[in-house]
Amino acid sequence: MIALEDYSYTYPGRSEPALDGVSLRVRQGEVLLVTGPTGAGKTTLCLAASGILKHEFGGTAAGRALLMGRPVEEYADLSAIGRHVGVVFDDPEAQLIFTTVEEEVASGLEGIDLPREVLLQRMEHVLELTATADLRERAPHTLSGGQKQRVAVAATLALGTEILVLDEPTSELDEEGTQMLFRIIQRLKAEGKTVLIVEHKLDALFSLADRMVFLEGGRILAEGTPDDLLRDERIRAVLHTNPKTPSFCRFGAEGSAGAIGTTAPIIRIEGLVHEYGGVRALNGLDLSIEPGEFVAVIGDNGSGKTTLIKHLVGLLKPTQGRVTVAGHDTQNETITGMARHVGLVFQNPDTMLFEETVEREVSFGPTNLGLDDIAGRVERALDEVGLSAHRQDYPRSLSRGERQRLAVACIIAMAPEVIVLDEPTTGLDAAESTRVMALASRLRDEGRTIVMVTHNMRIVEDYADRIVLLEHGDLVADSQNGGEEVICQRLCSTSREAASFTV
Amino acid sequence: MPEIMQYIPGSSIFHRLNPLTKILMIVLVAVLAVSTSSLALLGLLVVALFLAAVATRLSRPLVQQLPLLVSLVLSLLLLTVLSMQAGETIGHMIPSAVPLIGGAFPITTGAVEFGLLLSLRFIAMLFGFQLLVISTQPHDLVHALQRLRLPVDYALMFLIALRFIPSLQLEGQRINEAQLARGYNPGTGLRGVIRTLIPIIVPLVSNSLGRANVLGLTIDLRGYRTPRRVSLRDRSLKRRDFAAIVLLLVLSGLFVGASLLGYAA
Repeated sequence: MIALEDYSYTYPGRSEPALDGVSLRVRQGEVLLVTGPTGAGKTTLCLAASGILKHEFGGTAAGRALLMGRPVEEYADLSAIGRHVGVVFDDPEAQLIFTTVEEEVASGLEGIDLPREVLLQRMEHVLELTATADLRERAPHTLSGGQKQRVAVAATLALGTEILVLDEPTSELDEEGTQMLFRIIQRLKAEGKTVLIVEHKLDALFSLADRMVFLEGGRILAEGTPDDLLRDERIRAVLHTNPKTPSFCRFGAEGSAGAIGTTAPIIRIEGLVHEYGGVRALNGLDLSIEPGEFVAVIGDNGSGKTTLIKHLVGLLKPTQGRVTVAGHDTQNETITGMARHVGLVFQNPDTMLFEETVEREVSFGPTNLGLDDIAGRVERALDEVGLSAHRQDYPRSLSRGERQRLAVACIIAMAPEVIVLDEPTTGLDAAESTRVMALASRLRDEGRTIVMVTHNMRIVEDYADRIVLLEHGDLVADSQNGGEEVICQRLCSTSREAASFTV
Repeated sequence: MPEIMQYIPGSSIFHRLNPLTKILMIVLVAVLAVSTSSLALLGLLVVALFLAAVATRLSRPLVQQLPLLVSLVLSLLLLTVLSMQAGETIGHMIPSAVPLIGGAFPITTGAVEFGLLLSLRFIAMLFGFQLLVISTQPHDLVHALQRLRLPVDYALMFLIALRFIPSLQLEGQRINEAQLARGYNPGTGLRGVIRTLIPIIVPLVSNSLGRANVLGLTIDLRGYRTPRRVSLRDRSLKRRDFAAIVLLLVLSGLFVGASLLGYAA
């Protein structure tokens, strides 16, 4: 269905080739997983395989790229290619153009010369297949990232595409969204679609992929079944994968690490209720966190995790109850006042980067707070996150992982006692995730208190001392307060789910 | 957060009318609004549009625009009063009692009338346009625009603008929160506001531009730029459309008649 024959490609204005003599064949009905470290050429491979490079990018190519047996240059334009190949990109926001889900799917169909009844039938089938039928009236901005990606898949399938190319489709998604999308891919495989997927969340895909290709420096270094490739020690090291199923239950087995109430808590939340326009998001929540703890807050989407952490820095004020951090009642403090004590690192670093250089970006926070020795603070913060060499670079030109660490540096420079991390590993590959989490551990070891919201149970297991579980705005279990069993059950069921793609 | 210019699902008569009928309506409203300079008739037009919205339970989004409209009317009035003088003088911006500069900037009836005229024209067009947008699925609107021979690329541009308004609102809010958590202090005064907007505007614009590439590829690959061949929805003009068109034309005729008679008198 897709074939690259000794294909090399260099982007315009570059001297190093992004792809270097790649030969690849994707057979009908096959799921091919392409993986490799950041910068290996995975996205370029997707663009080459779908003919986008040829039609949109220019640059110099050598070798042949074939789609359905025809060279890509024989197709008139991208919409001719789009009849056979659907491409799903990493950014969920940019792939929905219409204002409701149904329009999104219907619009592609209306360009096809087939009887109306056939098209309507196809639309229903596609909505069903991608589990988007109950979203049909929804507007894009009300959908979660995972739902958006499913709609993007639906819109491309509606065109009747036989081949689906997915370029890191889950990089902006949380765990739930990721698993749901993989489940959809499994259904597509059962329907006989051909799938080429670039991913670094590998665990769930090992059982789904028929073959796997390992790419590094624009070359294919290994190719075979996932089992074959994972036997290679070196590949395992690069991918940081761990074939063992996580146990997760050290919290239950060993009991709580520290006794409660030995020191004064740094965060004290009492009877916290929060309502958004009459809807309760938090339902009378009590929680005390001591200095130096590393607490993971887990729970489904909509359980109130984000609402909770926004209270810590005063972005939200309690409807009822009290939140005190480092002795300051958030009700009586400005957000700027709270920012001296609590640093909040948002999920996506791009929501905050605006300066011309890395150095100036980091100095923004401490300058706002009127702190002394700004230059020294910036230097130490950049040193801490390992970005000293990039101090004069343009922040947005850094890699995603570097941008994430820069966001942490911006917060460290303000020297808060508490650091709150919202989904710190979203969008990062395994190596970068490890780097960011090691940084968080180090900050804890230096005496800071870390509160982390995440769906990623692996990092919870590896880094957190304490886990609290939220459900529908209630704190239902705390691993240090008799909730070990509930939490273990929850973690184990999540890990089983992740491992159950063998179905 | 109120959403600006978004489709509101419903089954009012506006929703059931063909988009072409509604486009005719706003064209007529615009033509009428500029063809008359009678304040009474323009006021009548605005009231009629608003009553139509009330009758079809679509008045809320119109009311939500009130703060914007009030500030618009005030600034238009200020502008006309400062820049033109006609008719009788009814007062001064600076009372004559004030020494030296007292009596400066006279307020004249001609200026006030002209300011109101511009305001009412604008309000009439805005109401008409808003009724169209909130009662028509953007998809149907694009079809209608294509049937009127608007090139597909322009129709898509219009659509994308509508689609991304609420997303940008949400993103702006997220960015604002992220900067607040870094001790960012929104400034006061015009210069302060402009200067302190940079931490919000730069990420907002950069993130949007970063999206353009993927957005463009998606539009091409999904064939949205090829003309529509089949319609999955019934888009023919119905009896109610013809009735509405006749009604609109009759009302417009009356309006033009009243306007001409007004001139004659």
